[in-house]
Amino acid sequence: MKKYIQPLLPVLTLYIVLLGAGLSIPGLWQPIAFIMFYVVLGQALNMFLGMTGYVDFGYVAFLGLGAYGMALAFSLFTDDGLGSGIIVVGFLMAVIFSILLSMAVGAIALRLRGAYFAIATIGVSEGFKYLIEGARLWGGSEGIIISSQLRDSFGSEMANYLSTFASDILIFAIGILAAILTVYTLHTRAGYALMALREDEDAAKVMGVNVTKYKVMAFGMSAVFAGLIGASAWTLKLTYVFPEDVFNIIYTVEAIVIVMLGGAGTLAGPVVGGLIYGILRYYLATVLPGFQLLVVAPLLVLIVTVFPDGVVGYIKRKLKGSRFSKYVI
Amino acid sequence: MVLLKLEKVTKRFGGLVAVNEVSLEIKHGDSIGIVGPNGSGKTTLFNLISGVYMPDEGRIFLEDQDITELPAFKRAPLGIARSFQIPRPFRSATVRENVAVGAMFGAHGEKMSVDEAMSIADHYIDLVGLGDKRLELADKLTAVEKKLLELARALAMKPKLLLLDEVVAGMNPNDVDKIVSLIKKIKEEEKIAAVAMVEHVIPAVMKFAERVMVMNEGKKMVEGATMEVLKMKEVAEVYFGTSQTIGESGDARG
Repeated sequence: MKKYIQPLLPVLTLYIVLLGAGLSIPGLWQPIAFIMFYVVLGQALNMFLGMTGYVDFGYVAFLGLGAYGMALAFSLFTDDGLGSGIIVVGFLMAVIFSILLSMAVGAIALRLRGAYFAIATIGVSEGFKYLIEGARLWGGSEGIIISSQLRDSFGSEMANYLSTFASDILIFAIGILAAILTVYTLHTRAGYALMALREDEDAAKVMGVNVTKYKVMAFGMSAVFAGLIGASAWTLKLTYVFPEDVFNIIYTVEAIVIVMLGGAGTLAGPVVGGLIYGILRYYLATVLPGFQLLVVAPLLVLIVTVFPDGVVGYIKRKLKGSRFSKYVI
Repeated sequence: MVLLKLEKVTKRFGGLVAVNEVSLEIKHGDSIGIVGPNGSGKTTLFNLISGVYMPDEGRIFLEDQDITELPAFKRAPLGIARSFQIPRPFRSATVRENVAVGAMFGAHGEKMSVDEAMSIADHYIDLVGLGDKRLELADKLTAVEKKLLELARALAMKPKLLLLDEVVAGMNPNDVDKIVSLIKKIKEEEKIAAVAMVEHVIPAVMKFAERVMVMNEGKKMVEGATMEVLKMKEVAEVYFGTSQTIGESGDARG
């Protein structure tokens, strides 16, 4: 147990501090929710990019499908009297959608190596956007708006509470779940298999690692968490889903920056990366409105050249062999 | 029972026939050397046995099971392990973790837990003499230590057949002696058949191998008892283009 708890301590402490600050300091809840979104976005991508070293440019498609899963639950089942169970159904649909897409994409694209995989996945999120708009699927470009269904199901006060507060709490919960699962995975055979294939796929194969199996597994896990994020941070929080919003490649790029900045494949990496990036982006939007996205490119260049292991990767190396090394993985 | 049987195995890369109808039988516990000049098809042969490449023609059997089409990751659990000529450690992992991956996914079976794998790893790390480096990152090891890590990783897979690709190349004679006697000792203790492939360090082959196969231009040139084969004039010609025999000079670097 100890080996799981020790590395979780810094991450969970940070969550508690953020949660406490957000709840007790007036006006801080929204910025913290905004930052948490980036933390969790990084955590979900890290499960795949960090663990396997494969770059998924279609990552945002899983968030988008998760958002649609939740929205469809509301537009299909509001009249069925499910009560608050409709949110469970929504999350279930988000998860099923993400898994289905990850298996479909994974079965084909994960047979490709490195850069070829990255290129193959670019089409996935863009393809989905145009499919939904072009085929007028799920409301087409008008999207799905669930604010009236939310009011019908929960009453206007509860609906308001759900979108301004409960959806943010759900993001915290997803983050904690992601951290626990990441620690657990790192200590299992799967964790070692992923490390091996990330470091040297051919050597891993010769040593008996079924690389395709573990890549698909990591891909699916990452997709499920992305789907959960899409369902709560978009659908429940904003109460609407538009294809051009949710299938926007910028979220993929931001998630990659967060993972690389914090340290790919580490537990605390995306949390630290998300924190730094989220704060930067939030305050740049107020100081230099319009330029906040411009920070992404130079930041990525800087990390890759000067800091290839990321912040946590760097700290981890420095702490190697010291008694604090158990806390940073 | 024959451990490994190659039946007229051929591999082409475009117009180049890298391995040309090579047949070979290896029994349990054998020690075999494969020698031949650069480009003679030795590494391709290893890649065919370990499943990195699939042959264009011919069949490969492991203990009577046809493994010709079997992917590499399914061959390792059957007892085939190899080291790479240029060591390929998992750089961001420790020595211990590197070797543990071998124990986890090799021939010990799927039930092997992480903790068990770590203790098996420790055993082989001590055996190859890297005991005090077990918590170092593989990245930090010297070239010779990386070779030893390759060896420990392959041994931890509990192989029946150990393929060693130029393990002693680039080492000084003392290290060569140490490693050759280490491999001989482990091989006898664990009843492993070992095939070592070398290009230059002929003395190591003479100490290690009972049998030698000489390859040239993708073909099996000759196979037989080590000292007899190395005394053959044809073999010397492959190496030097002269009639001086390797057995006399003791070293192909001449």
